[in-house]
Amino acid sequence: MDFYQIFSGIEATGIATWVRESLYGLPIVNALHVISIALVFGTIFVVDLRLVGWQSVTRPFTNVAGDLLKWTWLGFAVALVTGLLMFSANATTFYVNTQFQLKLAAIALAGINMMVFELVTVRSVSQWDTDRTTPNAARFAGFASITLWVSVIVLGRWIGYSKGFNFDAPIDIDFDLDNLFGAAGQLIAPYVG
Amino acid sequence: MREFANWLAGTGLNQTIAGNLWMIPTIQSVHIVAIGVLVGALFMVDMRILGVVGKDQSLVVTSRRFAPWIWGAIAVLLTSGVLLIFGEPERELLSFSFWAKMILVVIGTAIVAAFQIHLRGREAEWETTLVAAPLTKVFAIASIGIWIAIMVLGRFIAWDAQIWGALSPQL
Repeated sequence: MDFYQIFSGIEATGIATWVRESLYGLPIVNALHVISIALVFGTIFVVDLRLVGWQSVTRPFTNVAGDLLKWTWLGFAVALVTGLLMFSANATTFYVNTQFQLKLAAIALAGINMMVFELVTVRSVSQWDTDRTTPNAARFAGFASITLWVSVIVLGRWIGYSKGFNFDAPIDIDFDLDNLFGAAGQLIAPYVG
Repeated sequence: MREFANWLAGTGLNQTIAGNLWMIPTIQSVHIVAIGVLVGALFMVDMRILGVVGKDQSLVVTSRRFAPWIWGAIAVLLTSGVLLIFGEPERELLSFSFWAKMILVVIGTAIVAAFQIHLRGREAEWETTLVAAPLTKVFAIASIGIWIAIMVLGRFIAWDAQIWGALSPQL
């Protein structure tokens, strides 16, 4: 299967062309993406802080989660639609972009973390719903969620400064992982391409 | 303003931020994470006023819980924002989006501060009557709208001339 052909086909569609070439398409889609990410992270962060036992500890966990997770999903839906629109506009550049691939991996890990929590950890919620200190599995889920969503934000911002996406920087400036963080970059470079 | 931007571009801090390629995206990432924290905390308080979330707890408890997060996030946003101005003075200072954003930041922060000051000493009153007051809800909705506009304008800095045309000082 020739991925390049598939993605250049996506890039040639009307909606992709509109996002890429119209005057306001990309700025509006991009701004909506940032708003929805702030909603996703802001709401999940409050739930995560309850899980790790740092905040909202006087409220039952299910009240905090019940209040907020529908807003997290709303934000995620808007982020997904706007993300797909931006992806389609430059699909051939995105699919080979390291930061983009890492961002998708981080979103996938956040999804797995959420599924493990929802399918396994939450089964015993009636035993710890009102406890200040939650079980270790719940605390881990909270820490992992915060870490992964922060990574998603960092990697997402990094896409704009990598090859092919220099909206703000000159086109010849690219982030070379070999040199980015000096020795640390050289250590991880072989593993992240 | 152009002279001021030029002066900033000659400072040592500018050299450090502009000279290290990873610094701008890193500071921007911190800025976005902080905006997420602020949105989450403001969302809890504003939606509590509107009666959408957190109804099992009083507005006073909700406001007290999230006030440190709101002010902490604003402090991180201001610090990282100032660093971004030092790093890219022309991009920020010579843009319509930036100054429109700054006006809204002042208004948005003033609403947060005014609300918290007004809440002080009126805790009981807030629970019984004021939460239902239409004006309070108008301010809560305005607060949400203003911070959404702040995020939009923040992102629009990247395309200032393209979006605002003759309004942009970059043209």
